[in-house]
Amino acid sequence: MSTALARRDLLAALLAATALPGLAHAATPLLPDLDRAAAARIGKAWLAGRPDIGSAALARRLLPHGRGPDALPALRRQVSEDFRRGAVFVHRGWRLSETEGALFGLLALEE
Amino acid sequence: MAFIDARTLPDASRIEADLVIIGGGLAGITLARELAGGPLKVAILESGGREIDEEIQGLYAGTAVVKAPDNPDKPFDDYPVQSRARVLGGSGMIWGGKCVPLDPADFTARAWAPHSGWPVTRPQLQPFYDRACDLLEIPRFDADNKILKDPARPPLALDPQDGFFSAPRVFTRYSGGADKTAFDRFRTDFADAPNITVYLHANVTQVRLGKDGDKVEALDVACLNGKRHTAVGRTYVLAVGGIENVRLLLASNGVRPEGIGNRHDLVGRFFQGHVTYSLDGDAETEGTAVHVSRQPSMSLYLNPGRTGAHCVVAAGLSAQARMGTGNFTATLYAVTATGAGTPTEAETRAVRQVAARVDGNRQVGDGGDGQLLGFFAMSEHFPNPDSRVTLDPSAKDPLGMPRIHLEWRYAKADWDSLERSAAGFGDALGASGQGRACWPVQRGKLLEISSASRHHMGTTRMSADPTKGVVDPDLKVHETANLYVAGSSVFPTSGIANPTLTILALVMRLADHLKRDMGVRS
Ligand SMILES: Cc1cc2nc3c(=O)[nH]c(=O)nc-3n(C[C@H](O)[C@H](O)[C@H](O)COP(=O)(O)OP(=O)(O)OC[C@H]3O[C@@H](n4cnc5c(N)ncnc54)[C@H](O)[C@@H]3O)c2cc1C
Repeated sequence: MSTALARRDLLAALLAATALPGLAHAATPLLPDLDRAAAARIGKAWLAGRPDIGSAALARRLLPHGRGPDALPALRRQVSEDFRRGAVFVHRGWRLSETEGALFGLLALEE
Repeated sequence: MAFIDARTLPDASRIEADLVIIGGGLAGITLARELAGGPLKVAILESGGREIDEEIQGLYAGTAVVKAPDNPDKPFDDYPVQSRARVLGGSGMIWGGKCVPLDPADFTARAWAPHSGWPVTRPQLQPFYDRACDLLEIPRFDADNKILKDPARPPLALDPQDGFFSAPRVFTRYSGGADKTAFDRFRTDFADAPNITVYLHANVTQVRLGKDGDKVEALDVACLNGKRHTAVGRTYVLAVGGIENVRLLLASNGVRPEGIGNRHDLVGRFFQGHVTYSLDGDAETEGTAVHVSRQPSMSLYLNPGRTGAHCVVAAGLSAQARMGTGNFTATLYAVTATGAGTPTEAETRAVRQVAARVDGNRQVGDGGDGQLLGFFAMSEHFPNPDSRVTLDPSAKDPLGMPRIHLEWRYAKADWDSLERSAAGFGDALGASGQGRACWPVQRGKLLEISSASRHHMGTTRMSADPTKGVVDPDLKVHETANLYVAGSSVFPTSGIANPTLTILALVMRLADHLKRDMGVRS
């Protein structure tokens, strides 16, 4: 899988369960306005504390059942659990779940 | 019956009443309103006149400093004079009129909050809160928060398991700043009753105890034009505000050298105020901010002006217990985005876009990433005996009263509580899929970004135990038979709620007590 394709799939997964799920399958770019460089910087900040982690391991952790439409509800559950058990990643004051930090990490690795 | 300018009375006049109320602010006036038309003869002794006057206001001048761990001291000498108004109506002449009861949690003894716990509960105060709301012509805050049932202004869907909730506030028009005509009526019409006399320009400078030291015998009254009078009653209520109550009790040391009510060295201690913390972002740095994932209106939280309720997000008892914190609120406000095109702004957008998608609230193609708002945090300060108002014997006002010095001390536990609560707020938003919070503040900068409210609490705290409080649950000074204290100085803990509705509720309760105690048949 080419890097660009993988990234698009991840972004698709992020959109898969939004309020208009049909659109998630459309050919339109799914996160057209996500600033890749900014996302990668956040991802690198998350990865800085975890130098040994690779994209495959991260993908297995975040998207164990692939990048299909079921991915997002699962991510959402993980995010809630993270916040409740204090598994957070703070980026310039923004309090994000570990899972979101890892997502940015994956985006950075797949950039 | 009347308003009388005490400066025009013959020198050495003797003012007599059944009940003498010292101070004609919202507390003193509300008490008199409750007794208006009844059989008790009531006199209010009020330092000010009808309008704010610089010379009279100057009687409030003093010194102050805020001391907090890991932060440079903050000189605060203008606070004693700028945080209250010495005029008929008191600070009611300039208050915001924002009303909210204390949360039920605020009344509880919390094991992790030393010196917490009120000798009254929220359910016991509820009927008095209702009466206070009626007086101020605002909706009642009942247990089911009916005030919030407005489908057009939906609250955030915060999961109750996280312990944060939407807490409403409303505004009364009875404020000199909001509706001067209505407030003028409020602060004067009760004096039409035949049993009420309000003495203006009448400064109480000394509460005189009988020689046994357990009962008030008389009050010394001084006017700035040199006249001196005496006031005598059966019962006295001290209602000169959260700082001045201390000043008068400590300065009244003719019989008891430690002052009145101060056998256990408690008068003036446990000073608590409310403080807001917020930071504006700029092109390079984040401010205190909230990303809300949903698109629908947030008007319930964004101050709609003086009409309708607006909400803050507050930490309930379960959240406080879990985090080991005091009460906490986040007040949201609209911001205009700054720093477009900078790396900071781009990262903020990326954070928000991913959060909006993970939270499932973004509709693809609507271009929306939820809403970016600012917020200020308020975090209850734990009662601290070293945070205190004392007298400065080297500085006297023109009436010979020693001026006050406020040393407002925060403890490390206050910072821990604030930071943990801000984190908990972010966690609650995230866990519920409602948004994310940004708290970019370094501990060493907290004092610098703080702003003090003008609420003065804790300095004559209420407790059933005379060794732990200055006044008993009826607001009577433990060691003085006929002296009561009204105002926020009796609060054992401060919560976050603006104090005045609680002041008034306690005053209504005191009015009922005094009627019973002074033999008024209902
Ligand atoms: C700018 C500002 C905004 C505020 N906004 C809000 C808000 O939105 N919501 C809220 O709940 N609270 C608010 N507050 C606080 C609120 O105003 C006070 O809690 C409330 O007014 C206190 O009432 P009080 O009668 O206990 O004391 P005070 O208002 O301090 O009244 C004391 C009275 O005693 C008189 N007095 C003082 N010394 C003597 C003396 N020696 N002899 C005789 N008389 C004396 C004074 O002249 C005064 O009239 C605000 C305060 C300020 C300053």
